[in-house]
Amino acid sequence: MSDTGIGASVPRKEDRRFLAGRGNYVADIAAANEMALAFVRSPVAHGRIRSIRKPDGAENRVFTADDLDGVEPMRAPSKLPGYKPSDFPALAIGKVRFVGETVVACVGATRAEAEDLAQAVEVDYEELDPAVDMLEARRPGAPLVHDSWGDNIALATRTDGDMESVKARAAHSVTREFRMSRQAMVPMEGRAVLAEWNSRMDQLIVHTATQVPHLIRAGLAMFLGLEQRQVRVIAPDVGGGFGLKTYVQPEELVACWYAMKFGRPARWISDRREHLIADANCREHHYIVTAHADEEGRILGLEGEVTVDAGAYSIYPFTNCLEAAMAGGNLPGPYAIEAYGVKTWTVVTNKPPLVPYRGVARPGVAFAMEMLVDAVARTVGREPHEVRMINMVPASAMPYTNIARKTFDSGDHPGAVARAAQMIDIAAVRERQARDEPDGRLIGLGFGSYVEQAAHGTSVFASWGVQMVPGYEQAGAKLTPDGGLELRVGVQSHGQGMETTLAQVASEILGIDPENVSVIHGDTGLTPYSTGTYASRSIVMAGGAVSRACEVLVERMRTIGAHLLQCEPDQIRVAGGRVMGPGGDLPFSEIGRVWYINPEELPADVDTDGVEAVVGYRPEPDHGTFSYSTHAAVVAVDPDTGAVEVLDYVVVEDCGTMVNPMVVSGQVYGGAAQGIGTALFEESPFDESGQPLASTFADYHLPGAAEVPAFRLAHMVTPSPHTEHGIKGMGEGSTIPTPAVIGNAVNDALKRYGAEVNETPISPRRVLAAIAAAEGEAA
Amino acid sequence: MTEISLTINGEPVTASVEPRTSLADFVRDSQRLTGTHLGCEHGVCGACTLEIDGEPMRSCITYAVSCDGASITTIEGFDDDDVMEDLRQAFTENHGLQCGYCTPGMLVTARDIVRRLPDADEKRVRLELSGNLCRCTGYVGIVRAILAVLEKRRG
Ligand code: FES
Ligand code: FES
Repeated sequence: MSDTGIGASVPRKEDRRFLAGRGNYVADIAAANEMALAFVRSPVAHGRIRSIRKPDGAENRVFTADDLDGVEPMRAPSKLPGYKPSDFPALAIGKVRFVGETVVACVGATRAEAEDLAQAVEVDYEELDPAVDMLEARRPGAPLVHDSWGDNIALATRTDGDMESVKARAAHSVTREFRMSRQAMVPMEGRAVLAEWNSRMDQLIVHTATQVPHLIRAGLAMFLGLEQRQVRVIAPDVGGGFGLKTYVQPEELVACWYAMKFGRPARWISDRREHLIADANCREHHYIVTAHADEEGRILGLEGEVTVDAGAYSIYPFTNCLEAAMAGGNLPGPYAIEAYGVKTWTVVTNKPPLVPYRGVARPGVAFAMEMLVDAVARTVGREPHEVRMINMVPASAMPYTNIARKTFDSGDHPGAVARAAQMIDIAAVRERQARDEPDGRLIGLGFGSYVEQAAHGTSVFASWGVQMVPGYEQAGAKLTPDGGLELRVGVQSHGQGMETTLAQVASEILGIDPENVSVIHGDTGLTPYSTGTYASRSIVMAGGAVSRACEVLVERMRTIGAHLLQCEPDQIRVAGGRVMGPGGDLPFSEIGRVWYINPEELPADVDTDGVEAVVGYRPEPDHGTFSYSTHAAVVAVDPDTGAVEVLDYVVVEDCGTMVNPMVVSGQVYGGAAQGIGTALFEESPFDESGQPLASTFADYHLPGAAEVPAFRLAHMVTPSPHTEHGIKGMGEGSTIPTPAVIGNAVNDALKRYGAEVNETPISPRRVLAAIAAAEGEAA
Repeated sequence: MTEISLTINGEPVTASVEPRTSLADFVRDSQRLTGTHLGCEHGVCGACTLEIDGEPMRSCITYAVSCDGASITTIEGFDDDDVMEDLRQAFTENHGLQCGYCTPGMLVTARDIVRRLPDADEKRVRLELSGNLCRCTGYVGIVRAILAVLEKRRG
């Protein structure tokens, strides 16, 4: 390992500008003559628009759906049988389907002026009964979100398992019901767009805060009636994404339409309230799960019913049924289970659309499955970590294809549990539990494990029926005339540190100092096509492609270097940023000079493609990588107030080869903190009329530094057998088990009451309700 | 419109502002100092934290007109400050930032902690950070960075 290549904790190149306050986010960019947009949003969850009155004299600054000539509603197709697509309009057409839906667009020289105008618009609504709760919305006779559908079910799926044979052998059948509440993703930078038409380029240039610039380009072109060559999407610095910034948004379409129609740049910068009530939300799953287990706690069969509240419209491109598809495929987790049956429903309601958030379905899945495992452990009277270990796929069985047809590539899952158990010191916790705490609080211990499929390849996405199937990931590598390196990738880095880690991959191959490498990303005009950054795929896919592209450069430099050094190409080594032959060596700048400046010195057999290469890469097989981890936590629960404090939290994770261990650890910490948010604080509740009840940070609680524990982390390293350098995707992982870990710890603390919580966030109210329910049952 | 005169990063500035304009919008839009970020515009997240007369303040809930005569320092104005230099170094060494959006506000708050509470321990640092939200880092690197600077300065 070089000290700047794969495996080194190189400090991040991108830090310098951020620390100086010189990052460049969409809202920091100003265009001459730009206009600001503000929106009139629906105040009702479900209604018909009777009339809209524009303020007098403001006709050219106030727009309704009727004005948006050439703008098509957004439709995300899916090939899954029975899927019902929905049309998500840029501005509401006829009906409104959630509070916060865009109805009228207003422009002004400043956002304040645009908001003044929005306040003067009058809209008259005929209110309709809303469908708010997903379980009620699933029933026949519920109010219809989309009148033509006949029901509110966007997709129902069913997989049957051979339950009868396992039931006959099972000593216990343990059933539980769980709910993971609706949430917002809350990147600290909200959504933002600045659109302008460039006549010289015959192109719409859209600066937008996105993770997936090439997908946004495809969507904008389709819904605006442009050819894709006429759209350039640039994601500059992006202040966090977590999944939110993967869909085409109505406001983005309106900004583009205005820029095209009026020839003036248009900007829309969402405010926090818009994010909390009108952007796509996330999570909101309901589960009924049953484990059929033997006397030892070995789970023979698993049955699940999964309902996902997908909100009013499908987002483009990933559709609203990806979440339920992932849930159905991931419920068995890291366990070897003989029989598995699952039914899923994707239900539409009068709430904002749903978009997959970090972990995609799996935090909900793990909340159900991992808490069910603990319920089994309590039923058979064993330690929960032991029950996990006997059910997990052992290292000796790898590679292993599980009951949901996922092929785990490698790893030692029970080993991770054992290590976490050791770090949290079970004996000491059990001893402490046996004593009474001086402050009357109850101590609880919880575990949670998962396997994280990441960098899902072509075959996996194709099986989900979505339109945007990732193929070969491409990267460009170019030696500059002075011997530096430019990398071009179509993914987008918005916190992951890829300006550093991709440079490290190049450094591994070429020995070049990452300081001399520029990583160009997030711009459809400058980078090869990529489906972008999501599904923990970027370092696997773009990292692999960068590696391959640099290898091609090595070959090309060898030919030139051999000529200059008077030796054979196979005598040349490229290392340490130099081209080395038996009798001497040259810096890269000499190769650059000869190719670009003095081509008269080139050898006759030089590769005419020069010192620039675009190379495609896909792991084989392409079923994705499988990272895994076990978390364990100790909590203190106050039975009088219901407050939960996390006293200790350990993580043992294995994501294969780590390109930059510091960055990997940062992803683990950040994900786990978001998991703490899901577990204890974050919820976007709605009242029965569909009104959102959390529209500011005063009612939507994010975990702060004082609420998040000082995580303790250990790495295990089992390189992937299928990917370049053995890298596995891991960016989402640590959000996955956290709610279950905390839930299990709380239930462990409450076991003297026989009480169990089963819904996130585990707020004081829910803890007290669980205790009261158990006491009511006992009495 | 109201005329105000103030000092921003050591430079005298005179400007006409609408009474409703926040200090954050004023420094970002009129002065083009875009290092001050907006994360909530209602005083909770701390992304907009800058210094007014030497104290950390939330510029999103401060009106520009109320800053007549004040001395403002934004993240762009700390380049010669030795505490800030230490913090910047420590933030990068401890991976105290990912997307960078909360970072300017964090640094201004962190500088205040380092100067005001030289003996702060981890628990106190975490409590003092409760007015600054970060969605990326889980606070681990931020807390470590501040503790490292405190330790360095204690010698
Ligand atoms: S933007 Fe000022 S506190 Fe959030
Ligand atoms: S680094 Fe992204 S919000 Fe703190």
